[in-house]
Amino acid sequence: MAVVVTIVFLLIHLIPGDPVSVMLGPDATPAQIQGTRQALGLDRPLYEQLLAFYARVLRGDLGHSYFLDRPVTRALAERAEPTIVLMLSALLVAVVIGVPSGIVAAAHRGSPWDRGLMLVSLLGVCVPGFWLSLNFIYFFAVRLRWLPAAGYASVLTDPVGALTYMVLPAVSLGFNQSALIARISRSCMLEVLQQDYIRTARAKGLSPRVVTYVHGFRNALVPVVAVIGITTAILIGGAVVTEIVFNIPGLGRLIISAILRRDYPVVQGVVLVTAAAYVFINLVVDVLYAFIDPRIRYD
Amino acid sequence: MAGPFVFRRALVAFVVVALVTAASALAAETPRKGGILRIGNLGEPPALDPHWTTASITETLTNHIYEGLYSLDREKKPIPMLAEGHTVSRDGLTYTFKLRQGITFHNGKEMTSEDVVASLSRWGKQSIYGKALFAQVADFKAVDKYTVEMKLKEKSAIVLVSLAVPNNFGAIYPKEIAEKFPPQVKVTEYIGTGPYKLAEWKPDQYIRMVRFAEYKSRNEKPNGYGGGKTAYVDEIRWVPVPEVATRVAQVETGELDFADDLNLDAFDRLKRNPAVRPIVSKPYYWLVAVFNKKEGLMTNQKLRQAWQAALDIEPIMKNVAGGKTEFYRMDSSLAPVEITTWHTKIQGLPWNERNTEKAKRLLQEAGYKKEPVRFLATQEYKWMYDFALLTKQQLEDVGFNIDLQVVDWATLVKRRNNPKEYDAFTTGMGAFYDPTHHIYLTASWPGWTTDEDIARVQAELARETDHKKRVALWEKQTRQFYEKVPVIRYGDLFGLRAARHTVKDFDEGNERIRFFNVWLEK
Repeated sequence: MAVVVTIVFLLIHLIPGDPVSVMLGPDATPAQIQGTRQALGLDRPLYEQLLAFYARVLRGDLGHSYFLDRPVTRALAERAEPTIVLMLSALLVAVVIGVPSGIVAAAHRGSPWDRGLMLVSLLGVCVPGFWLSLNFIYFFAVRLRWLPAAGYASVLTDPVGALTYMVLPAVSLGFNQSALIARISRSCMLEVLQQDYIRTARAKGLSPRVVTYVHGFRNALVPVVAVIGITTAILIGGAVVTEIVFNIPGLGRLIISAILRRDYPVVQGVVLVTAAAYVFINLVVDVLYAFIDPRIRYD
Repeated sequence: MAGPFVFRRALVAFVVVALVTAASALAAETPRKGGILRIGNLGEPPALDPHWTTASITETLTNHIYEGLYSLDREKKPIPMLAEGHTVSRDGLTYTFKLRQGITFHNGKEMTSEDVVASLSRWGKQSIYGKALFAQVADFKAVDKYTVEMKLKEKSAIVLVSLAVPNNFGAIYPKEIAEKFPPQVKVTEYIGTGPYKLAEWKPDQYIRMVRFAEYKSRNEKPNGYGGGKTAYVDEIRWVPVPEVATRVAQVETGELDFADDLNLDAFDRLKRNPAVRPIVSKPYYWLVAVFNKKEGLMTNQKLRQAWQAALDIEPIMKNVAGGKTEFYRMDSSLAPVEITTWHTKIQGLPWNERNTEKAKRLLQEAGYKKEPVRFLATQEYKWMYDFALLTKQQLEDVGFNIDLQVVDWATLVKRRNNPKEYDAFTTGMGAFYDPTHHIYLTASWPGWTTDEDIARVQAELARETDHKKRVALWEKQTRQFYEKVPVIRYGDLFGLRAARHTVKDFDEGNERIRFFNVWLEK
C-alpha cells in the first residue's frame, strides 16, 4: 500500500497540469496563480509535500480536496454508497446472465443454444460500454419513457427511486461483464464435463440435470468465482464510464474529475481506497476457494 | 323571427368563447410563482466566490446569489444594482456612490457602506478587473452608512464598467466574511444579497438555491443582467451532468428543464422535439490562437503576420460549427456585434486574407527555416482541437512546420504560463465589456503582449473618459491589433442550449444564463 501511495503521489504531481490554473479559470493571470499556489502550499518542494502527505496518512487524514471544500475522507464516504450499489447491482446482473449462459452453452455444446449464447457474450465483450449505455438511454428513457435517463437516489432514503435509477446502468454494465463470466463458465464446465467421474455419474443413470448442476457445476466453480472476484474488482474502479454517462456520483466519476482538475488529495485518496478494496476482494476470493473446494487448505 | 334570436345566441357564445380563450391565454402567459427549475450544466464550480476565480460556471451560479454595485444592461452598459447612483467630482477624480437602503443579506443583516468597502477592497486584490481598477484608486472609504467614496490617482474611464462586469465580479459580501477570507483563499460561507440564496451544495449531485423571500428588487423592468429581478421559482437546482449526450436526453425526457453547453450536433434532434426549444447562445467565443511573444519563434512579428495572411477562416469556422451556418459568424471586430458600443466595422483589415503568396513572402522575410512551431491544443473542448487541426493543415500548405501538441486542459493552462514550453496555444475569447478588459492585449496574461504601442493605447483608453474619443482609440487599437498580431482572431462561434417549453421568460439575449425573472408553466 505504501508503494502504491508513493507511486500515485509522484505520478500525479509529476504529470503536467496545475489545480490552481484550473480553479482560477481561463482568464487568471500568472500572478494570481502564484499567490494561490502559495496559499495552498503547492509551491513547496515535492519531497516536503510527500513527507507531509505520509504524516497525514499515518494519522488517518487523507487531506482536503481543493475543489470540494471538504476532507477527502468525507468525499470518499459520500461516493462509496453509489459505487457499492452500482457494483452489486451490475455484479448481480453479470452473474445471473453469465453463469447460466455458460452452463447451458457447455451442456449443449455445439448446439444452436451454445452458438447463440456465445455470440451474445462475444457482443458483450466487443460492444463498448459507452455506446451501449447511450443507446439504453435513448431507447428506454427518451423513446419509451420507461425509466429515467440518468441520476441517482439513495437506497437508504428512496429505495424505489434508487431501483428505477439503477436498472439501466446495472444492466448495461452487467451485460458487458457477463460476457467474460459466461465464457469462463462455459470453458470450465466443458473441462469438468469431460472428466471420468462425470462419465461414471452418467453411467450410474443420474439425470443429465443432476450430472450438470450437482456434479459438474460445483467442480467448475473455483475458476468462476475467481473471475467473479476479478469482475468485482474491475467494477469498483472501472465503472467510470457508466457513472459518467448515467450521472451517478460515485468513486469512478470522482476520480476522473479529480484527475482532470488535478485535485491531488482526492486522486490519492481514491487510489488508496481502491487498492485496499482490491486487496480485500482478493482475500475474500481466496477464502471462498477453500469453502467451495475442500481440497484447498491454507494451513 | 328565429333568425335574430339564433344570431344573438351565436354572438353571445362567440363572445364567451373569445373571453374564455383570452383569459386562459392571459393566465397561461402570466408569470406565476412556484416550482423547481432543474438546470443541467457541465460540471462543478471550483468555488462560489466570484472575487476569486474567472471560471464561467462560477460566474453563472454566483450571479444568482450575489450582486455588485453595478450591473450591465441589455446593451452591456453599466446600470446601478446595489448602488442608488453616483456622482463624479468636477476634476473626475472622486466617485461618490449612494447605496440603496434597506437591502438585507441572506443572513438578515442590512447591507451598509462597511460591507461595500470590505468586499471591494478584497475584490481589488484578487479579481483581474478589481486589480485593474484598484491600481488607479488612491483611497476608498465609507463616508456614512449608505455612502462610499472612491478617490482616483488619475481620471479613469473604467470605474463603472469594472464594477458592473459579471465575471470575477465585485460581489458584495457581509464585512465579516470579506475580512475573514484573505483574497487568495476562496470564500466558503456564501452570503449575498441576490434573489436566491444557497441552500445546499452536494458536489457531483446538485447545488440548490432557494428564493430569498426578503429580496428587495429594483423598480425598473428587467434589463440584461440588471434591472428588476423576481425570484419566481421556489428553487433552482443546478445538476452537474458531465456527459453532454445525457444532458440532451434529460432535457428531452423532462428530467431537466434546461440544459446548457450542448454539442452543436444535437441541434436537429432538439428541433424535432415538440417539448423542447433549442437556443443558439450569442456571443459564445471567438476562436483564438495566442502567440508566445516573450520567447521563441513567434516573437517574430512577420511570422505572426504570415500565419494571419495564410488563413482561410470560413471553412475552419464551418467545420468547427458542424457545417451549420447558424452557429458561426464571420467578423473581424474584436468585440462581438452584441456589444454594440465597442463593435467595429473597419474595412480593409488584413483578416481572413487567404493570401498564400503574401504568407510565403512573409515567411521568407522572417528568415523562417521550417523550425517546428509548438502549437498547444486540447481535445477536452472539441472546437479548440478542430480549429487547431484545420489551422495546421492550412499553415503547412504555405510552408509552416506545425508541431500540434494535444494535451488535456489542465496541462494546457499550466504550460501556457511557461514561455519556454510553447509558441502558440488555442483558446476562446468570451465577451469583454470594455476595451481595457481584453486580456490578450495586456502583458500580464499568457502570451504576454508587451508591445509599447498597444500598451500606450490601452493606457489612454483607461484614462480617457470622453466616449467618442474612446471609440476612436478603440478603432486605432483594432488596426494596431491586425498589424502587430498578438493573437489570431478567427470567427465567432455560438453555443447551444435547450429549454423545455414550460420554461418561460428566459432572456436569450444574455451571453451567460440567468434565471431570475424566469417562471415555470407547470
